[in-house]
Amino acid sequence: MIRFVRWLGVSALLAGSLAFSTAQETITIDFYYPTAVDAPINAIIQEYADQFMAQNPGIRINPVYTGTYTQTRDTINTEIAGGGKGPDVAVMLTTDLYSFIEEGVIIPLDDYIATLDNPDAFVADFFPALWLNSLDEDGTIWSIPFQRSTPIMFYNADLFAEKGLEVPTNLDELRAVAAALTEPDGSRWGLMIPVQGTFPIWMFQSFAIAHGQNLVSDDPAEVFLNTPEALEAVTALTELGTVDGVMPAGGTAWGDTPSAFVAGQAAMIYHTTGSLTTILNNAPFTVGTAFLPSGPAGADGTGFGAPTGGGNLYIFDTPDNPRSEAQLEAAWKWVQFLASPEVQSDWGTRTGYIAARISAWDIDPLKSRAEEFPQYTVARDQLATAGKEFSSYRAIDIQNIINSTLSQIISGAVPLSEAEAVLANAQAQIDNLLADYR
Amino acid sequence: MATKAAALPQLVDNTSILTRLFRALLPYLLIAPTLLGVFTFTLLPAVRTVHDSLYQPPRMARGEPTFVGLENYASLFNPQHHLGARFGQILGNTLAFSLATVGVSVPIGLGMALLLNRRIRAMGFWRFAVFYPSLLPLIGAASIWAFLYADTVGLINTTLRALGLPTNNWLGNPNTVLASIITVDIWKQSGYHMLFFLAGLQAIPQDLYEAAELDGASYWQQLTALTLPLLRRTLLFVLVVALTFSFQTVEQLGALGMGKPADRGNLLLYFIFQNIGERRNWGYINAMSVILAGMLLVFTVTNFFLLERGREDER
Amino acid sequence: MQIYRRRNGWSIAADALTVLISVIWLLPLIASVFMSLRPASRPLSQDTLLWALTAADERGIFLPWFTLENYERALLIAPWGSHYLSSIIFVVGTLVVQWFTVTFAGYAFARMRFVGRDLLLYLILLQLMIPAGVLLVQNFATIRQLGLYDTHIAMMIPYWASAFGTLLMRQAFREVPIELEEAARIDGANLFQILWRVYIPLSIPSLLAFSIVSVSSHWNELLWPLIITRSPEVRPLTVGLNQLFTTSDTGAAYGLLMAGTLMVISPLIVLFVLFQKQFINSFASSGLK
Repeated sequence: MIRFVRWLGVSALLAGSLAFSTAQETITIDFYYPTAVDAPINAIIQEYADQFMAQNPGIRINPVYTGTYTQTRDTINTEIAGGGKGPDVAVMLTTDLYSFIEEGVIIPLDDYIATLDNPDAFVADFFPALWLNSLDEDGTIWSIPFQRSTPIMFYNADLFAEKGLEVPTNLDELRAVAAALTEPDGSRWGLMIPVQGTFPIWMFQSFAIAHGQNLVSDDPAEVFLNTPEALEAVTALTELGTVDGVMPAGGTAWGDTPSAFVAGQAAMIYHTTGSLTTILNNAPFTVGTAFLPSGPAGADGTGFGAPTGGGNLYIFDTPDNPRSEAQLEAAWKWVQFLASPEVQSDWGTRTGYIAARISAWDIDPLKSRAEEFPQYTVARDQLATAGKEFSSYRAIDIQNIINSTLSQIISGAVPLSEAEAVLANAQAQIDNLLADYR
Repeated sequence: MATKAAALPQLVDNTSILTRLFRALLPYLLIAPTLLGVFTFTLLPAVRTVHDSLYQPPRMARGEPTFVGLENYASLFNPQHHLGARFGQILGNTLAFSLATVGVSVPIGLGMALLLNRRIRAMGFWRFAVFYPSLLPLIGAASIWAFLYADTVGLINTTLRALGLPTNNWLGNPNTVLASIITVDIWKQSGYHMLFFLAGLQAIPQDLYEAAELDGASYWQQLTALTLPLLRRTLLFVLVVALTFSFQTVEQLGALGMGKPADRGNLLLYFIFQNIGERRNWGYINAMSVILAGMLLVFTVTNFFLLERGREDER
Repeated sequence: MQIYRRRNGWSIAADALTVLISVIWLLPLIASVFMSLRPASRPLSQDTLLWALTAADERGIFLPWFTLENYERALLIAPWGSHYLSSIIFVVGTLVVQWFTVTFAGYAFARMRFVGRDLLLYLILLQLMIPAGVLLVQNFATIRQLGLYDTHIAMMIPYWASAFGTLLMRQAFREVPIELEEAARIDGANLFQILWRVYIPLSIPSLLAFSIVSVSSHWNELLWPLIITRSPEVRPLTVGLNQLFTTSDTGAAYGLLMAGTLMVISPLIVLFVLFQKQFINSFASSGLK
């Protein structure tokens, strides 16, 4: 009932604002986006903005490239803390959800979705796994999936054919196959997993889920790092390099991994689906893609489960600079446009991100791309088993703790025998931060 | 000097009150722009930083901060704290980084200047060869080195492998990452220092060397007895520039490992930036800023003391 | 000063050392040139070394491997022209104002006597010891209040006052013989004429040294411009380079990265090569002490 009343209110305002905007008032939407893929993003985004402005004469889109996700978040926070208004719409990590909610700088989108002709159909047209990190624990929708990804396994199909090997489906097979593909002279590794540097947490999370315990649950005040499963997971991950010798010890750097794969220096890699287009364009061999191998979790011991990742669209409205309803409505239109099946189909094709709308896969250009390169559908199909990406209160600090801790263990700065103690200390730091929320 | 000037007769003569007032205010007018800038963009924010380092930001954005005394500083040394667990390591790295980059790049710059202050063919080329890194934006220089250092597809490791030599994961190995980052800074800064030393060398009167040579002084004797003492002020100038630079420039880390692995390649100012995204860390951020500024203060004050004393010596 | 009058063993060793150091220092540049010409589909591996710009295909015919595609793609990634212009505006606009502020303040501290002089000098010197980076958030708020966000002025304004320059010019001016100033005064010169005709000509080396430090540090600057600006027309080159680097998330496109970096630095390098003699000689022979 409350929702209905709010809906009525919003619709009335919307109607008013529509009338207002026809009165030659141009609304400017500042749109911040971080670049993360090798494509002329500026040009693509500008193209979308031009299309949108042609359809919506009263609205001007001002796209602003803001560096990496981290730089974008810092820019937004600095602007807002300095009394600025920040962006109207921004693509930010799904993991930032609770920070933005707590700071009160984004608005819930349920009321806007409710004004659509068919709200349920709109929500149902997104892959369910992509909603996991877009809602809070009460089910309120705060953000709309835009450039989403998930880690998948890429393999050199020519090499597999040549050696007569099957694509591994679980971690034991992975070790055996990777060993068979590793050249002792160092010219080729069987496997590369990018856990050196930037964010080991993402790849680690897939190991943790496959070992039976995700880092997070539905409760944003709960993080599970000091668990037997996490210890097993980090041990398995580290030992791929130090004991099994099928991957460089300490893992590889994020950006170098696809390059090494394309250069034939790795037979299999874990990487984001966002790299697919680049890899397909550059690899001189047949590229195969597969689900991440399963771990020992689950009743039948097939613990699949990769996390999702990437960025969502958020609409900002800061307490110091409250937006007009017309402004917010224009922002929502732009969000709707970017999340539309047409744009998602084009965006997914040109970048490699998973098109978030189910119906985007039935229209061109993605439809024909997926027919020509079935590799694109693997990430989509893996979403059925995907787990929730890291998400909690104090998420920035807690991810820093986890990344730093994993880095200590995986790089060998701390021996595996002390891993349990290091995880316990990290958990204590995390629990200190979350104590306020319990 | 001012008294001297005032003693000149015609300056005293036709002096109206207005002119006198103007003359009294003139020094303040001359320094006003500088003072205003320093006040607005350094002193005021610095005082705010010290003030804020004694407060814990509110949990919610619109709340009031709480006074916590020196607790933020204490937390930085608490291993159970999410920043304290890492702070000690990073503080040590920062000192090691500054001392190593300055300690190596300044002597190399001096050596380059000595080598390139001789008669040598194609002088311009050699000077260009060592100076060009200074022309590169730091992030550009770091990008080039990221390519050299990359583990499997980098230049150094592919070359080593082609030669059948063992490779090293330069930015991924916790034991080599700091040295790798220091190397980039040395490469970038040495030629820059060289320029100042070259200038200093050129200022030394040629006849001093001729006299020394007549006395039969060897090259090393000339270097230690003549050149180095006369370069002392240049050296101190370069040291101030180099030290300030080494504490304040961290952008290269964005391309060179981002402080990983295990914070062995992290520096204090970069760590501050890594944590600035969370508003509730700002108490600690301010405390770290105060500590960083304090370290820089100790180094620069020492240097200025020496620099000023160097001046007096020459008088 | 020229130490080596005769060619002897030491001088040959010194020549050899010069060549060795120069080659080591040049290697990264040479490597980046080669890498920038390499197609993205040919990453480095030990079989296909950097220096090899040709390779045998399956029929044993050697084909060239180099391409300009990296440069073409790098051009698309950021609006380089406006970034370039913006960098120049930032650096020049900072420096020109600094010339005035450091000359005035340097003169006042060197040659004038006034109440609170030493205290004010120490206050100004504090600027040298407090890293601008740690004041970022506070300074952002100030810029915001001044209504300068996303302007060239916003990038420059915190640097217009320079403690370093003030100190340097103060020292240089103190070396100028006071008699010259007195003589000019007797000729009826006012303060600005004295500065322009007496002090500045005699302090060119210090002014030049300061200019080099100023230009090179602001040319390198990334974090402050990244935070204080957001329009492509206002943002400097370093932001474009940064974008180039972050693009490599989906595979370190080192060829692309090198192409972009070289594109950015080559005008400067050309300028330096053309004018390096004048640059270094005027700087060096004028004798900065």
